[in-house]
Amino acid sequence: MRGDGDTPALLELDGVGKSFGGVAAVADLSFAVPTGSVMGLMGPNGAGKTTVINLITGLLGFDRGHIRFDGAEIGGAAAHRIAARGIARTYQNVRLFSGMTALEQVLAGGFLRRGTSLIASFLGTPASRAARARSLAEARHLLDRVRLAHRADVLAETLSYGEQRRIEIARALGAHPRLLLLDEPTAGMNAAESAAIGGLVHELRDAGLTVLMVEHNVRLVTDFCDHVAVMSFGRKLTEGTPAACLAHPEVQAAYFGRSGDAERIRALR
Amino acid sequence: MLADLWAAYQSSVGFAMVNVFFALSTYAVLSAGVLSFASVSYAAFGGFIGAQLVLNTGISPLLALPVSAVAGALLAYAVALLFLRLDGHWMALASLALVLMTRVVVLNAPTLTGGVNGLSLPVDLSLATLTVLLLLLMLVFHRLSGSWYGIAVRAVREDPAVAASLGMPARRLQTIAFVISGAVGGAGGMLLAAMLQFISPDTYFINIAFTMIAAVVLGGSYHWAGAVAGAFVFTALPVVMQAVLPQIQDVANGAALLAIMVFLPRGLIDPRAWRLRHAR
Ligand SMILES: Nc1ncnc2c1ncn2[C@@H]1O[C@H](COP(=O)(O)OP(=O)(O)O)[C@@H](O)[C@H]1O
Ligand SMILES: [Mg+2]
Repeated sequence: MRGDGDTPALLELDGVGKSFGGVAAVADLSFAVPTGSVMGLMGPNGAGKTTVINLITGLLGFDRGHIRFDGAEIGGAAAHRIAARGIARTYQNVRLFSGMTALEQVLAGGFLRRGTSLIASFLGTPASRAARARSLAEARHLLDRVRLAHRADVLAETLSYGEQRRIEIARALGAHPRLLLLDEPTAGMNAAESAAIGGLVHELRDAGLTVLMVEHNVRLVTDFCDHVAVMSFGRKLTEGTPAACLAHPEVQAAYFGRSGDAERIRALR
Repeated sequence: MLADLWAAYQSSVGFAMVNVFFALSTYAVLSAGVLSFASVSYAAFGGFIGAQLVLNTGISPLLALPVSAVAGALLAYAVALLFLRLDGHWMALASLALVLMTRVVVLNAPTLTGGVNGLSLPVDLSLATLTVLLLLLMLVFHRLSGSWYGIAVRAVREDPAVAASLGMPARRLQTIAFVISGAVGGAGGMLLAAMLQFISPDTYFINIAFTMIAAVVLGGSYHWAGAVAGAFVFTALPVVMQAVLPQIQDVANGAALLAIMVFLPRGLIDPRAWRLRHAR
């Protein structure tokens, strides 16, 4: 199966730490995401999962440790440089651009693959027009992939929450990343929508993409993740197969506590 | 009758067109998320350099125009290198300080600027020429906004962090925006000089900063056409009010501006509002 120890890691965190005003949001965190796998990142609210994604993508100032992507150190690099290396992401709270249509959002996501200079595209050279047509076709294809082709010309902010989340995924895919970071991609979605996201994630993995996703939906994690790391209070609690992680007593206590999810897990088996 | 009206108002139309250059110069950086008043300085730089070129070589102001644009662009590039590291509000304040400094520099560099006496520039700029130039300028902005640059600067303006995580180098895109702003402002400065046929330290001062910000706020800062519309409305309004309501023209003028700002807070031209209506 995927995610075995002998697969080379695409992303490696090594002793990563981040504090906000003296409070450690992430502490001494190490894990690796094997190339071509889907890795789940779990943990209760405030455990530091989003902070991890922000550190990987350069959205937060970097404090301590090492983050290696495809062998190269990216910890503390500028966000746009990290993106150019092939890392794309979505946000826990959808962050689409106000005033842009669905298609424009995805076109913006294709910035790194624009394939033409400003001067050429300003002058409208044949090559730049061809590049433009390619970008448009690609953006439409990506919208189609998240089943929103019919919404292409609608202002994205008027779409439903689930649709906006899917646009964000399409936008992230616009740059043809090698690593996709999804921060709670199914939050606020119903079961059918969630399953569709899971299916999409599997398709993407089969096409060679590596995925790291923060996900609370136990069913989705069990069905779609090859490997899981669980965080609690900024630290890694445990790591392993979805089943092993969910069965871990500390996970049951720390993560599921009194929430009743423990029963749901048992019911799943 | 119509001919009389035209004779009376054609200079206002000319000034409106020049103001479009200043408004678009401001729009160029605002569309990339930066509020800057420095367009006034580009205009002064472009204006005095262009005027000197015309006075010393006798070339037509039209030939001096590209030189003014390049001068403005170079100054804007320097401003971008120095000021873009500042956060939003500080950037705006620094650019305002630059405008104040510009006046002092202009006063104290009489060989270039004529100092307090200013420079007279006996040239003729026809309204037809100005119209052609304006149409060209609008074509430039139309093409820019349709290119990937247009989408990228919108993204940087709306959410710089997200834009960065899509690989957009915000600082570089904003620097390009400054260079465009500088070229347009420098050209506008030269055109103003040719319109007025006389320039002095007071020509390029706070009044221009006020005009261009008002134009962009009125017209809307989310589409280049907003700056164009805003410059025309802002220039025409006092003239119209003076003709229609001469007794209370200042009050009426202010009331009209306020009404636009209150009822159309995103300006006369707002692509988002249009799309929202379109969505239903
Ligand atoms: N930008 C920030 N400034 C200050 N504190 C933050 C910031 N981002 C996150 N935190 C804090 O870091 C901790 C981890 O948050 P987060 O990474 O969002 O957790 P999770 O995504 O696992 O719910 C929380 O205590 C949160 O309040
Ligand atoms: Mg979170």
